[in-house]
Amino acid sequence: MSLFRQYLAQRLLASAVTLLGVSVIVFLMVRVLPGDPAQVLAGLLASEEEVARLRTDLGLDRPFHVQYAVFLERLLHGNLGRSARTSQPVLEELKPRLRATLTLAVVSAALATAAGMTAGALAATRPYSRFDYVLSLATLFGVSMPTYWLGLMLIIIFAVHLNWLPAAGSEGLASLILPSLTLAAFSVALIARMTRATMLEVLGQEYVRTARAKGLGESLVVARHALRNALVPVLTVIGLQFGALLGGAVLTESVFGWPGMGLLLIDSIFSRDYAMVQGIVLVFSTLFILTNLVVDLLYVAIDPRIRYA
Amino acid sequence: MRTHRTRRFLSPLGLAALAALMIAIGAGPAGAAGTFRVAVGVDLDTVDPAQMTTTTVANMVDYVAETLTSLGPDGKVSPWLAESWTVSPDGLIYTLKLRKGVTFHDGTPFDAKAVKWNFDRLKDTQVRVPIRAPFPIKETDVVDPSTVKVTLTKPSAPFIAALSWTTSALVSPASIDKQGNEYKNIVHTVGTGPYVFKERKKGESFTVTLNDKYWGKKPTYDTVVFRIVPEAATRESLILAGQVDLIVLPPIADLPALQRNSALKVLLAPSDRTIFISLNTTKSPLGDVKVRQALNYAVDKKAIIQNVLFGAADEMDAPMAPSLFGYCKAGNYDYNPDKAKQLLTEAGVKPGTKISFHHPTGRYVQDKEASQAVAGYLREVGIEPELQTMDWPTYVSIINAGPAEKTVHQLAYLGWAPAFLDSAMQAFQFWSGYHPPAGLATSFYKNPSVDELILAAEKETNADKRKALYCDMAKQVWSDAPWLFLYVQRFPIVYSAKVADVGSLPNEKFAAIYARPTN
Repeated sequence: MSLFRQYLAQRLLASAVTLLGVSVIVFLMVRVLPGDPAQVLAGLLASEEEVARLRTDLGLDRPFHVQYAVFLERLLHGNLGRSARTSQPVLEELKPRLRATLTLAVVSAALATAAGMTAGALAATRPYSRFDYVLSLATLFGVSMPTYWLGLMLIIIFAVHLNWLPAAGSEGLASLILPSLTLAAFSVALIARMTRATMLEVLGQEYVRTARAKGLGESLVVARHALRNALVPVLTVIGLQFGALLGGAVLTESVFGWPGMGLLLIDSIFSRDYAMVQGIVLVFSTLFILTNLVVDLLYVAIDPRIRYA
Repeated sequence: MRTHRTRRFLSPLGLAALAALMIAIGAGPAGAAGTFRVAVGVDLDTVDPAQMTTTTVANMVDYVAETLTSLGPDGKVSPWLAESWTVSPDGLIYTLKLRKGVTFHDGTPFDAKAVKWNFDRLKDTQVRVPIRAPFPIKETDVVDPSTVKVTLTKPSAPFIAALSWTTSALVSPASIDKQGNEYKNIVHTVGTGPYVFKERKKGESFTVTLNDKYWGKKPTYDTVVFRIVPEAATRESLILAGQVDLIVLPPIADLPALQRNSALKVLLAPSDRTIFISLNTTKSPLGDVKVRQALNYAVDKKAIIQNVLFGAADEMDAPMAPSLFGYCKAGNYDYNPDKAKQLLTEAGVKPGTKISFHHPTGRYVQDKEASQAVAGYLREVGIEPELQTMDWPTYVSIINAGPAEKTVHQLAYLGWAPAFLDSAMQAFQFWSGYHPPAGLATSFYKNPSVDELILAAEKETNADKRKALYCDMAKQVWSDAPWLFLYVQRFPIVYSAKVADVGSLPNEKFAAIYARPTN
């Protein structure tokens, strides 16, 4: 167990180093972008003095390394600075946005996992059947459909023509349905394909034949022996997909006016709100790193052959 | 019937359960009675009037906070929280009589002291006030509870008009340090308006409720909800589904279809936003007036308005919008490619001459598409435009790079919309004191007689004389052609036919405070 703890400590340390690297890159990246935040913020009608005052106010007149030192020092105290656009602490602005994005991503991931694995497993047990072909076609659609287009189509069908669901916003459960379906579409398809492929491979293994030979029912063979062994690669895809879901949230959120971090990120980039962009990218990176860590730990739970020690 | 259809549609995805849930929730998203629902494209960056930069945000804050004067749908400025005023002969001292019996939402009386506090804040450089320039306030004195005397640092004839713009809207001095407010940053606006600030969900909505104690005519709806929906196509879906009552800026290509829809009304509101291509007069061959006029003749503005803007614009016939004080028709550059070619030949511009053409994307209605159309017309007269598309912050940094020798742009697609309807702010664009980096007169146009007219108009307190000065300026600028004059944009507003009394103000605001159901 202590070996496991050591492994965990190593991983966490490596994560911290990665985040430090991310902080440097994002800090430089926003500043390399052309455009003066003070000018953008003040608007076209502002006078030169107002713009200059704003620049000083935001600390943009200081050299890069001083700005980074300030940023890093604050970061170590858990302070992400203040948004230039809203004058509010970035952390305060981020909390409700993070909640919204996570809600969307988690619901979509759950949806994608349940639907994707079920469909994939079913297809694997009936390879080259009609169901299998339909599924291949559906997953092809799923991976190639642009999020933006799919989102608008769902809005037109379910909000405009049927008037069953809200077209935008985040009031109540109903408003979660269309954005999470849109966001899940790509991952469902990918997870279904991955599950089908690994399941097909596993179903051809000798231990599966043994299980069948000893008289186990087909459903038990699939659920207990095949699916479990097929889970490791599928889990990897799900883990990676969760990261992709967070990224995909940027488009989905803007189509559905979902008040999450993706939407905020776009607004912040277009207004060159450095502190906000840095904060969002750091939060996204942290989530990504944590997801990977959790996936690695889950391997142990699923496959007793994997040991981190 | 419904369940059956749903199952057929969704079960291949294994989502029948979800469909059932969807019906169970019964998302019939009709608004509660008495709620007026609006969808706008931009989130509120601030609710602090002093920090205002965006018209649509100002439009929402106007429900809560009011100004001393008011802009009407006809573009006229009339008394509002100030009932009358006098101006000293030197144009420096404004004495304003305030409306009596008005209170802020927190019960604080609206009086001279409150105005002084707000104006002191407006001139305090500790507070971020991007549009401070139209308010050159030196000091504000309380004469009696309903009279204030405002002394300016310099004569400013459009001051009364400027007082109708949201930057100078009045908030309760007692509201500072409450509900998260700080002196430097107000996050919960407490004004005197017909609606009271109720709730703001960032990135999502802004809700206001009726002010029972409002001093003026009371609106019909109890609640107004502004929803933030950045995607134009989604806003359009919301109004088509009846889930909101009013939207601004639908997808422009859908205007004809929306106009045919009998459940909706489309308002193509005249605005003060001139859209033009700034011609950098310091870069050859644009220093030659013949070349600049040639470019104006080369482009078929009418065709672009019809085919690219779907009618949501009017051809410019002066360097300012017709809604501005001081406007007078200056002329027309009717589409005439032959004349354009002839002028270019006279100026010695060889066919195939390359000219850089910068334009932003996503900033103005159909900006990229219109720029491409313009480039096409220029090619037809032998100019080779090198189109450079960029996002707004990058674009601004290019056109505002500094003094003329540091700039690289030749043609630059830009929009200009004065915050209040007076030619003063439009004239900046033709004044040599406003060349970058001091301002955004990106054509670097300099004509001493135009400079003189502009400065004289700024000081002139006699309205008729001011008007004449701007008219002279307009005609001179028109023939000097520092811009490729395109059009005055219209501001499309779409609202439900079940709603009446929705109008617009000529500065890209909707006027829907007194909206009411039609029946």
